[in-house]
Amino acid sequence: MSSQGSNNKVGSVLVVGAGIGGMQASLDLANAGFKVYLVERSPAIGGVMSQLDKTFPTNDCAMCTLAPRMVECGSHINIEKLTYSEVESIEGEPGAFKVRVRKKARSVKADQCTGCGECMANCLVRNRAYVEPAEPEPLELTPGELSEVNRILAEHEGERGSVLPILQDINARYKWLPPGAMRHVSEAVGIPLSRVLRIATFYNVFSLEPRGEHIIRVCLGTACHVKGGSRILESLERELDVQAGRTTGDRRFTLEAVRCLGCCGLAPVVTIDEDVYGKITPQKIVKALDKYPA
Amino acid sequence: MKKSRMHLMLCAGTGCVSNGSFRIKADLEQELGKHELQDEIAVVMTGCNGFCAQGPVMVVQPDNIFYQLLSEKDIPHLVEEHFLKGRPVKRLMYTPSLEKAPVPKMSEIDFFEKQRLIALRNRGMIDPEKIEEAIARGGYRALARALTSMTSQEIIQTVKDSGLRGRGGAGFPTGRKWESAASHHSKEKYIICNADEGDPGAFMDRSIIESDPHSVLEGMAIAGKAVGAGQGYIYIRTEYPLALQRLNLAIKQAMEYGLLGHDILGTGFDFDISVFRGAGAFVCGESSALRASIQGDPPEPFSKQVHATEKGLWEKPTVLNNVETLAIVPEIIKRGAGWFSQIGTETSKGTKVFALVGKVRNTGLVEVPMGITLREIIFDIGGGMENGKAFKAVQTGGPSGGCIPASLLDLPIDYERLTEVGSMMGSGGMIVMDEDNCMVDVARYFLEFLRSESCGKCTACREGVDAMYRIVTDICDGKGNQGDIQLLEELSQAVKDGSLCQLGATASNPVLSTLRYFKDEYETHINEQRCPAGVCRALITYTIDAEKCNACLLCVKNCPQQAISGEKGKPQTIDQEKCIKCGVCRDVCRSEAVTVQ
Repeated sequence: MSSQGSNNKVGSVLVVGAGIGGMQASLDLANAGFKVYLVERSPAIGGVMSQLDKTFPTNDCAMCTLAPRMVECGSHINIEKLTYSEVESIEGEPGAFKVRVRKKARSVKADQCTGCGECMANCLVRNRAYVEPAEPEPLELTPGELSEVNRILAEHEGERGSVLPILQDINARYKWLPPGAMRHVSEAVGIPLSRVLRIATFYNVFSLEPRGEHIIRVCLGTACHVKGGSRILESLERELDVQAGRTTGDRRFTLEAVRCLGCCGLAPVVTIDEDVYGKITPQKIVKALDKYPA
Repeated sequence: MKKSRMHLMLCAGTGCVSNGSFRIKADLEQELGKHELQDEIAVVMTGCNGFCAQGPVMVVQPDNIFYQLLSEKDIPHLVEEHFLKGRPVKRLMYTPSLEKAPVPKMSEIDFFEKQRLIALRNRGMIDPEKIEEAIARGGYRALARALTSMTSQEIIQTVKDSGLRGRGGAGFPTGRKWESAASHHSKEKYIICNADEGDPGAFMDRSIIESDPHSVLEGMAIAGKAVGAGQGYIYIRTEYPLALQRLNLAIKQAMEYGLLGHDILGTGFDFDISVFRGAGAFVCGESSALRASIQGDPPEPFSKQVHATEKGLWEKPTVLNNVETLAIVPEIIKRGAGWFSQIGTETSKGTKVFALVGKVRNTGLVEVPMGITLREIIFDIGGGMENGKAFKAVQTGGPSGGCIPASLLDLPIDYERLTEVGSMMGSGGMIVMDEDNCMVDVARYFLEFLRSESCGKCTACREGVDAMYRIVTDICDGKGNQGDIQLLEELSQAVKDGSLCQLGATASNPVLSTLRYFKDEYETHINEQRCPAGVCRALITYTIDAEKCNACLLCVKNCPQQAISGEKGKPQTIDQEKCIKCGVCRDVCRSEAVTVQ
């Protein structure tokens, strides 16, 4: 829609992903008169919703919501569907983007195909028609890590609902959750990786990226907030040149904002590793950093 | 146990430990050794004493003399004067204000004088890492009585008669909860202790566990006997490493003494307790989310049409109580329902622990009878405002609560009264704010908290709180519009109606209560683009008062933006273009020349 701003912009829009959201966006834009390029990675539009039965919170039938949009999207004159395609690069600025899209070989002439399904039924390597090439994922654990994760798994053997404690122990050991470890846990406990990831992303203690040698936690509980906790955080952000939640380039510090460490009598509070700094000022905390070598 | 003529009860709560109480302990022992007093005087590391602001604190028993703000260099003098020569050191005692004399005895300090300790009965009196000391103070006596001479019905009736209500926030009658769980037949039942103290600004659960973990274990075992449960879980925050460590130790010791585990005290009653660590999610304090978390499911609340007391953890009848509630239970069993129910108000019995923090002189944990007024807590126990500033509001109930203005300071505190004025009891955080706190900023703070802690299951909470946050942030940034206040009120109602759990249902309280009592501040932000308290960064400017500035150049050295300049020996000025309003100049200025508008 950015074309409305100035005259030299091109009146077309690229929508990435033809799920329910992407389709609706394309339809709205197309109906508003824009030319829409709808890029979709899989061979068909529709996305994940086509696999669902009901939707939260209204319990509406998913297909009833989806189907009309698929039909309309499929036949809309203003929408050019680029299925089985991926965006390779984007250049330019709002209003004048240049996008490279790689359209994968389908070996079927899309404009002549009627979707009869005969080819699929008669294919000798059947069911492999739509198999995407498996991407090599470097998720291997080193032998040391593997035995460490196995040791943690063995400790929780037989416990009910033990994914969380297992992840906590791995997180405590490595300060983060290596992807290979999560995959291993998922296989060992017999819980889908998606569920392990859902738990890992829900709780604040887990980190999905490696963390620094020393972890700085700035309390932003109410008591610390009214006594200027956020200013302490800002001064650390300035000093270390990282945003809260990130790790410094040299992996020396990870800066985190936490909600109440329960030391409200000492507000504002910062902890670095196990050391608690109470009634701290921006000047004092910056000086305290020197005690923690790289 | 070895007898000593004097006990030095040195606080080893999180607050005092961070101020070096273990270093003080080492020094004390070394100095005592020098004077060959180590056999006469014992140093005891106790749990949190409650007076966290003055840490490290130490109480000398049996004289009950209170020392505060100890540092290593005071120790040689203290040992020689007091412990050798018998002359208490006035310099290290609590002094209410400059004009007044130091107060030697702990019981005479205002902060402690008005408190009535039930849940915190053993604080500062025992070493929490030694079960013998807890037993000597009457620990596990109530459990013995419950197991040997009371039936389950009698225990439940006693708790019902006492009028005890849940201390976690909602205030559901504990006895009724137990009765309901007891009425459902099942081989397996569970007792869960909720120690996932997520409310920012509250730390009583941590303190109880750190100073007296056995009271909680005892309360859980009594609850187990009452409802017929054999397994207990304690769900504790991962942010509390010391509490976790002491809890595990306490369970181990209680097992060794036969006070937990198989066939307790030979009565044939079995009760085990496991500790479950949380992982930093505020919503896990909500009962259904907490259960899901223990079961290893994503911790999202679900509809509670079937009560947990019928189908809770693993689909079995489950009682979930707060730490403080469980710590009170043994005292009720020991001293009777009548004793407990005479304390407090009509609807709210007993005492409540509050975390008195913020801009008040004496910060720390206080346990007071229900019905006490806010004024008594803040001005008598708390010693009034810090730095002589004017009181503006007190925030209770955490993110579910609200801000109570000065006009309601004489409000007697109980569950109903706090709800009436638009706040709530919550877990008992009490954050005092002064004239330098902007109420719009406080509302923004809580919305930001809730926005990031909402689990995202209910659209109304996920999107509604976020929309409210954006509106309030705009107001703080000076981009507020006419009609924003009305929109906030409408959104508040929508979020309340459309959320499954209490996190969403009460999410609008901080906004509604600040709108109710401090609407003028919102209006000033919107209409005049001004932040009266000088907090909202987009609406303030820092300037240096040329008359007060003595050109010490401290601000110039500390300014991260090099925004302050001027001739040597002359008053300095701030370049408003470069200034990022971090306030460092104001902090470092010794002559109060930096002003904010």
